[in-house]
Amino acid sequence: MSGLGMVTGFNLVLLDVGIIVALTALFAWIVNLILRGVMRASNPQVAVAMRRLGVTVVVAVGAVLAVQELGVSPSILLLVIGLVAVAAIVAIRVPLENAGARFFSGIYSPFKVGDTIRVAGQTGRVIEINAMTTILLSEDDRMVALPNSTFLGQPVENLSPQAWKELVVPVTLSGSTDLAAFESRMLKSLSKLRLRLDPRFPPVFTVKSRSVQGADVVLTVMVRRPEDREPVLAEVNLRVSEELDHSRQSVPKPSALSEPPSGS
Amino acid sequence: MPKLRLLVNTQTPLVQFLRVPRDTRTPTESSSVDLTQLTEGVDYRFSPGGVTRMVYPLLRKLLADGVLEDAHWVSLNPNAPATAHLPGISLHHVAIDPERMAGYGTTKEAIWATAHGLVSKAKSEGLFWTDDATEYTFYNRTTAMRIRELDHDLDFDLFYIHDFQQLPVGQMLGTLKPKIFRWHIPFDVRSIPVDWRPVMQRYLSAYDRIVVSSDRYRRELERLGHRGDVLRIYPYIDPAEYRTRPTAADVGAVCEKFGILRAHSVGLIVARMDPTKGQDRALAALALVKNSLPNLRLVFVGNGSFSSSKGGLGLSKSDRWRARLDEEVRRAGISDRVVFTGHVTQAELDALYERSDFSILPSVNEGFGLVVVESWIHRRPALVTDRAGVAELITDGENGLLFDPDSVTGLARQIRRITADDGTLRRRLVDGGRRTARTCSLETAARQERELFESLVGG
Repeated sequence: MSGLGMVTGFNLVLLDVGIIVALTALFAWIVNLILRGVMRASNPQVAVAMRRLGVTVVVAVGAVLAVQELGVSPSILLLVIGLVAVAAIVAIRVPLENAGARFFSGIYSPFKVGDTIRVAGQTGRVIEINAMTTILLSEDDRMVALPNSTFLGQPVENLSPQAWKELVVPVTLSGSTDLAAFESRMLKSLSKLRLRLDPRFPPVFTVKSRSVQGADVVLTVMVRRPEDREPVLAEVNLRVSEELDHSRQSVPKPSALSEPPSGS
Repeated sequence: MPKLRLLVNTQTPLVQFLRVPRDTRTPTESSSVDLTQLTEGVDYRFSPGGVTRMVYPLLRKLLADGVLEDAHWVSLNPNAPATAHLPGISLHHVAIDPERMAGYGTTKEAIWATAHGLVSKAKSEGLFWTDDATEYTFYNRTTAMRIRELDHDLDFDLFYIHDFQQLPVGQMLGTLKPKIFRWHIPFDVRSIPVDWRPVMQRYLSAYDRIVVSSDRYRRELERLGHRGDVLRIYPYIDPAEYRTRPTAADVGAVCEKFGILRAHSVGLIVARMDPTKGQDRALAALALVKNSLPNLRLVFVGNGSFSSSKGGLGLSKSDRWRARLDEEVRRAGISDRVVFTGHVTQAELDALYERSDFSILPSVNEGFGLVVVESWIHRRPALVTDRAGVAELITDGENGLLFDPDSVTGLARQIRRITADDGTLRRRLVDGGRRTARTCSLETAARQERELFESLVGG
């Protein structure tokens, strides 16, 4: 093959790789869009995680195809990735299990710091929930650390009065979201569910952490009747998702930490 | 205790700008103005009202006593430069757009009116679910974010949040540093709608200390179910500011300006134009005694608050109230017996106190009533509503005359009592008042505030 023929062949390969990358990006965007629609009523943090997972899978498949196009055997690449993943899982199985459990129990378990709970024969007030353990303070002042995985495999009783009323929705805001405006719009939106909510406890936002990258906030709503928990949670999740979409579509504003509120 | 860097937050700003310097309304480096380079009365004026009137002298004293390294004061001031500076004190101004301001204003006025018993509990239920209330939250969140930004740069030692308008700020700050909240308006659990109570408890519990203006309010907070530390510090003024007595010429000038004659017996009412201040009660009492006391004149000093002023928030209600009072005056046929002065300078106010025979605080409800202390310092007997916080310091006939603001005959009786006196009662009330005024002095309060700071920050 002449030198010119080799160059032309390499150019064609690059063109193919380019097309794969472009199609991967397009497909990732479509998957993200579909998951966003499908998971509108899910917890916003879970929805974000699932969208990330979907996009990651698409990108990984695209990367394998692109590598194959470049002439490298994909089986070797997949083998290496697989071995590394297995080794990582074996090495950090327990912490991974607890961190995973923390993620899901943090969203779906009906307790929070300050509540009194009974789980796995232990009773106490929750004083800390970290990535690995949940720490209880027993009535006789003992600290009891429970692996977070306990909460996915054991029945948990929340003994705090009227704990059934409380729904806690964690929300992550990007740095470009105006927290005060987001909160104001959400409160207006949630006031329309007033009939289903405890009139003594209007929804409230609590900022857990904030930086120039964004803010982790927690929205707490109190339902009026036990049977309202599930539908209200779904509705609140939906409204939060819609409001987050609205915030993304709005003109980005500088973050709360980088600019003081504007003049009148 | 090391010198502290203090953050103060009030709704009402310390100063209102009469002329906003160019290029200072956007928050940039050049948007800061030095108030010492401007002229009071021309470029700016100090805001009227008890809160700023108390906080500013306190900060100056604590700075002079070496308790504070510096103070930063965040307040709502839409018509002002982003920041302004006085020696040792930086003023940071928050602005929200007019639409949000309207919703915020409606909500805070509703809270105010409910706390003062001016509207029924039933009418106020559900307030925190209204669209307007979301603007109240918006304002407080904006303020809290501004304070967080400042704290990020300046690392405050202590946060001192003042008054009901700012109540949510403590919870919104989300800082572990010590936070104090001072409740300035009346507090009576009976006037608080049931659905407000958990909201209030949630916000109040975010503070490390609550400061109230009377022992009664401390008991009421306990009745609400608040389990945190509550401290009573009586509101205060600096007697040093009243050492110079007005001259005869000053008094003569003010009498001429407002048509007060030598023969008149003058009752002075110093309060902004607001239904809660109860000027209508004083007019009704005057109508009852007008025939028996033909020389009695009631002089009403004051106009709108920061909230209702055009240079402030523009939520005018003072004009409506004043129109209603004018109507009352016409209806009762006492036009020649009353004087409405509007806003007067401090020198004119001092001269009016000097000329007056007694003062009246007729409020329907009153967080404290510093004008009573002012009256005592001016050696004038005070007729005081029993619904004011200051009433718990008064023994009827010893250092003041008390009345129920809902009883016009009660107030009329006390007016007759003081005007019929041969001097014995007056002397007793003046001497008793002067003694009680010491309880409400800047010196006493500064000591208590210092102890409070030490208890939170460490001595």
